[in-house]
Amino acid sequence: MADDKTNNDPSLIERWLAEQQQWQRTFVTYMDSMVKNDEFLVHLGNALRGSLLAGKPYPTQPPPSASAPETPSDDKLDQILFALRRLEGEVHDLKLTLAELKGERKRAPKKTQPAKPKDA
Amino acid sequence: MNEAGPELERDQERELEALLEVSRRGRAKLERLHEVLTTPGHYGTGATPASVVYRENKLRLLRLLDETGQPRDGRPPVLFVPAPVSRYFIMDLLPGRSFAGYVAAAGFDVYIADFGTPSREDRFADLEYYVEGLVRRCVRTVGALTGEDAINVVGYCLGGTLSLLYSALHPETVRRLVLLTTTVDGDVEGGIPWVAHRMGLAGEGYDNPRLVPAAEVKSWFEMLAPGSNSTLGRFSDLWDRLDDAPERLREVRTMASWVDDVVPAPGRLLAELFRKLGPGANGLLKGKVTVGDAPVDCAAVTMPVLSVSAEKDTIAPAAGVDAVRSIVPQAEILRLPGGHVGIVAGRSAATLWKRTVEFLGGSGESA
Repeated sequence: MADDKTNNDPSLIERWLAEQQQWQRTFVTYMDSMVKNDEFLVHLGNALRGSLLAGKPYPTQPPPSASAPETPSDDKLDQILFALRRLEGEVHDLKLTLAELKGERKRAPKKTQPAKPKDA
Repeated sequence: MNEAGPELERDQERELEALLEVSRRGRAKLERLHEVLTTPGHYGTGATPASVVYRENKLRLLRLLDETGQPRDGRPPVLFVPAPVSRYFIMDLLPGRSFAGYVAAAGFDVYIADFGTPSREDRFADLEYYVEGLVRRCVRTVGALTGEDAINVVGYCLGGTLSLLYSALHPETVRRLVLLTTTVDGDVEGGIPWVAHRMGLAGEGYDNPRLVPAAEVKSWFEMLAPGSNSTLGRFSDLWDRLDDAPERLREVRTMASWVDDVVPAPGRLLAELFRKLGPGANGLLKGKVTVGDAPVDCAAVTMPVLSVSAEKDTIAPAAGVDAVRSIVPQAEILRLPGGHVGIVAGRSAATLWKRTVEFLGGSGESA
């Protein structure tokens, strides 16, 4: 029985051949995902950097123009844009204040008209 | 010669067997990696259904919804304020691993401020813009939606700093305050302010700020985690981890999708924080902070306060966090085993969640 079993076991060479075929399958699976799934390359790139971060590339140093403007006019435009952002918030503050005032007015008891003195 | 032949053959066979095993293990790791990379999950999105109740610039104020898609309006509202230099979803990481979800399930009406990703013009955003602008309007919006004059605020890390400053300036609008791993003593060595200082934050321009790139912000955090600041070190760690079960790897991926997704930071905000609260200045502890022109008086923080530090916190060392007791004497100090992220969203985070719910459920009377 034991001899039969030994004879049925694949030889080392056969196992190496099977392993090589498995590697080919793994390689094809990766290639397939790279072709079919745009995000897969990003994820694989992150993994090669040692991160399982999903959905976006691992942070790398951006071009200098992304952190500071290249020209003075760009700088001015950024300042104007941010000033507009501040205004956007202040407008919301005003809206909230108006809503609060309305709410207070509703809650406040209505002033009763002083009773007119009856004519004698 | 004849005797050495079979022995040599056996040695070669053993070597080939060993190589075959190495090959199989390497392939199994790559197959597991492929499975993890192609399986969808909660990566970079909150776990709990939510509606956006307010937008301003890049900020979104999220209101968590219950199973029927309705907001909870039973217990007092709670506003979570995460750090603006990282993503908000650490507060709502995974189903079953969500701090905000846990608080909501306890019946509170939960809101989360998602500060979003700043773009170039936001480099001019300063402390006043965040405290008196974004945080204050979030509190006001929650108040307007719920009809509550005072709400609960839970601030995490730098979000805790913003919450503390806000509470000192507008104490009447804060019912109870929870500060999670919030550095108060900027002179305590170690942690992110010190690393940033060593890596040149002192030179960050207030008048002519830049948008500090995410990669640079990330490099400060990496300095605090040995091995994570080299690609080779990180890859070696990941390769070792690929022996883990796919479920465990998906958890790692969820956490990586927060840890590695640092956002760029407004240079003016960082410069101001460093000059006012950082090493040497230590304005919070010395009582010398201003937000805009308004002086901050922490004696005004009279509401109940819970401050939580983490024993193994390398980002906000526990000693610097617990120092809050010297400026807010009534603060309850809780030091938990674990790290900066682990106590909030790790496997043992339930300790913090339970204590927070108990604390928030207390009466809102001033100390």
